[in-house]
Amino acid sequence: MTFKSFGAAVSTAGALALAAGPAAAAWKPAGPINLMIAFAAGGGADTQARLISTELEKTKGWKIIPQNVTGKGGGVMARKLKGQPNDGLTFGIAVTQTFTYNVLAVKNVGYAADDFTYVTTTAGTQLGLVAKSERGWKSIEDVIAAAGAGTTFKLGAMGPKLADLAYVTEQKFGIKFNTVMLRGGRAVLNAITAGDVDLGWVAGIQNKGVKAGDLVNLVSGETARLKISPDIPTLHEIGIPYDAGVKFLIVAPKGIPADARKGMADAVASVLTDKSTKAAQFVQRAFGGPSLISGAALEKLVADSIENNRKLIAATQ
Amino acid sequence: MGILDHVWLGIVAVFTEAPVATVLGLPISITVVMVALGFLGGIVVGATPGLGGPFAMAISLPILITIFGFNPDALLPVLGFLIGIMKGATVGGAVPAILFNTPGTPDSLMTTLDGFPMTRKGEAGKALRIAHFSSASGDTFSDIVLFTCAPFLAITVEAYLDFPEKAALIILSLAFISAVVGDSVWKGILAALFGMFAAFIGTGEDHHPRLSLGSDALAGGLPLISVVLGVLILGEVFAALEDMWREKRATDAIAAQAAGGDDRLKLRDIRRILPFVGMSAGIGTMVGALPGIGSTLAATLGYATGRRLHRGEVRFGDGAPEGVAATEAANSAVSGANLIPVLSLGIPGNVAAVFIILATETISGFNPGPAVFRLTPDQVNAEMVVAFGLFTAMVLANLLNWTIGGVFMRSMGIMVRIPKQRLLPIVLLLTLTAIYAQRPEMLSIYVTLFFGLVGYVMRRLRFSVLPFVIAFILANNLEEAVRQAFSATGADPWFLFSSPISIAFMALAALVVVFFARGRERKAI
Repeated sequence: MTFKSFGAAVSTAGALALAAGPAAAAWKPAGPINLMIAFAAGGGADTQARLISTELEKTKGWKIIPQNVTGKGGGVMARKLKGQPNDGLTFGIAVTQTFTYNVLAVKNVGYAADDFTYVTTTAGTQLGLVAKSERGWKSIEDVIAAAGAGTTFKLGAMGPKLADLAYVTEQKFGIKFNTVMLRGGRAVLNAITAGDVDLGWVAGIQNKGVKAGDLVNLVSGETARLKISPDIPTLHEIGIPYDAGVKFLIVAPKGIPADARKGMADAVASVLTDKSTKAAQFVQRAFGGPSLISGAALEKLVADSIENNRKLIAATQ
Repeated sequence: MGILDHVWLGIVAVFTEAPVATVLGLPISITVVMVALGFLGGIVVGATPGLGGPFAMAISLPILITIFGFNPDALLPVLGFLIGIMKGATVGGAVPAILFNTPGTPDSLMTTLDGFPMTRKGEAGKALRIAHFSSASGDTFSDIVLFTCAPFLAITVEAYLDFPEKAALIILSLAFISAVVGDSVWKGILAALFGMFAAFIGTGEDHHPRLSLGSDALAGGLPLISVVLGVLILGEVFAALEDMWREKRATDAIAAQAAGGDDRLKLRDIRRILPFVGMSAGIGTMVGALPGIGSTLAATLGYATGRRLHRGEVRFGDGAPEGVAATEAANSAVSGANLIPVLSLGIPGNVAAVFIILATETISGFNPGPAVFRLTPDQVNAEMVVAFGLFTAMVLANLLNWTIGGVFMRSMGIMVRIPKQRLLPIVLLLTLTAIYAQRPEMLSIYVTLFFGLVGYVMRRLRFSVLPFVIAFILANNLEEAVRQAFSATGADPWFLFSSPISIAFMALAALVVVFFARGRERKAI
């Protein structure tokens, strides 16, 4: 059985549920919705997207066809989505960084930030600089003190922006990291556990290890302090005016109908705020709860993030 | 609470929690049902040309989560199902390799070398039995090593392998496969380099799609499954079709598959293959415990070692049962040992293990890592109970493998009676459908057809396809490892020679090439 036939079975069940109860959806898609997922099948981000789709089918009676379009930090998906008709039947899910950092840092990226209509965010990361607790470091100050004594630490990063941040940190405190690029937060965490790197950026999956006492967050890469380590400062607080947290983001080709944009945002919000849905439970477990920003507030978030990233890139040149 | 108490709690959890039915007054738990379903599904998936265990695991994980949810009581049913698939697919993978000469995954390519000649001699049933016996033995051996050594072995291995050593280890694997397989070392290396070239299209650390000639289709890289199955299966189908066409022109008839050969597995046969099974099980287990290398290398190593050991009347490559045994025991022995780094470090050794980690990440209550095997006096470590529950599920899958697995495999032997001219188009259709289902766009079909042609040409020029396939799969790991080692050592150009272990790996790689290059007649795959 493929996922699609499973989805069909679920949507039949959803249609039955709909017939039984009152439907209050203002906007209804004119046909099946294509959802391009910029993450690899089976991972946390992919599971999130698929659970939201299943829940939308169940509660709204829509038909959603999820498809993984991976590669180039969401770039492959963005290039493909850009050329799709803007009729409110095609959406994509990626992270904000695809549209706010990669468009500035990657040459010939093949799309621009204003090729898209931003629909809604779903959840955010809990990015922290992480090390094993057996190293004895309590916060970033301890690392800086140790590095100042002439030791070069290996730092794992999962994207060029985090490498930029490491560079800015080096410049600010006069220390030296050997930054190693790893594929995804899981790989960074593995490298930390195995002792291949001394510390690294991880976007939320460190929570279990931090709770168990095996790992420690040294600094928060978000605009706010981390939920699990409220005593640890943010980058801003230690004098580095950048942040690198990202949010999962549903986008559409530029210029989709306003009611489709609002309809999708509202539907996703209703799924993720209803604590009885599996999607909401998963987002709570995996990403510490939903983060729902849409409309003008989302446009401002994207614009601000682009501005912040522009400054960061200038600071590294 | 000692270890044994945890073992007992794990067993109890598997057999008694959430019973779904009663048979003869005994409650059957949901975990037992899920292991059995996963195992049977796994055999079918493995036996279907073009489908493999990791694909089935990727599809079923979101469905399982939807059914069972994220609470700790979902852990054992979900993990049990995934383990069932993993084991079933490993056993089932030998079926198309033996019957149709079309390996479903690179792991069983070496199985075709002797399995298919046995089929041509009318010994398909025997080949299947040997494959099953060896696979189940290798798997069981590997599981026993996992159960007894998991807590400390992986930590020791990881402590010695840093980025430079990992890069050197991949180089050694590639050198070994290029040199050992096929009739010429230099052809093998050429095929490997070609595979790396194909893998470098559209990939890499930079977000700019390299080598893609500005094409959006190539920007995401060539789809792995299309390239690998194109070369392995379509290439073989094309070559077989041409052979049939020539045969028909020459003799005006297509030879039917011989039947009535020796089809039984006698005690004598088992005694004959046992040393090969033992040797390969050991090799597979060792390779499995190394992070990120995988079962194909194990199969190749097992086969190559078997060929050295062999002194029988039927040569390896002409339908020697020992060849099938050596390959199948080795590739099956990887799966248990692969969970050693998973459980004690949380690091996957191969693709199948990745899905076990993903499942534990999604469901709460179990975090693979050093804490799993930590004993606290007077307290139950719930994670250790889950780990032993997992082991129990694996033992259960092994029991199923020894019993119904064998029956199921033997029943597959009937397919050999389908005439070749009907079978090959079916294999072709199944493969293309399976590929399209995994990546539903026409591009994946075009790429498959193109690499089918590549596989055909390589076969006709007597180039071995295995170095191409393995290099294609490992090239991006190699590139990453090299980049990481380079930056971790602070841009030291001699990073590959920075520690005794990596120097030893590099020296071995050079040695392997030189040793096998001293011209010897070998059969091309």
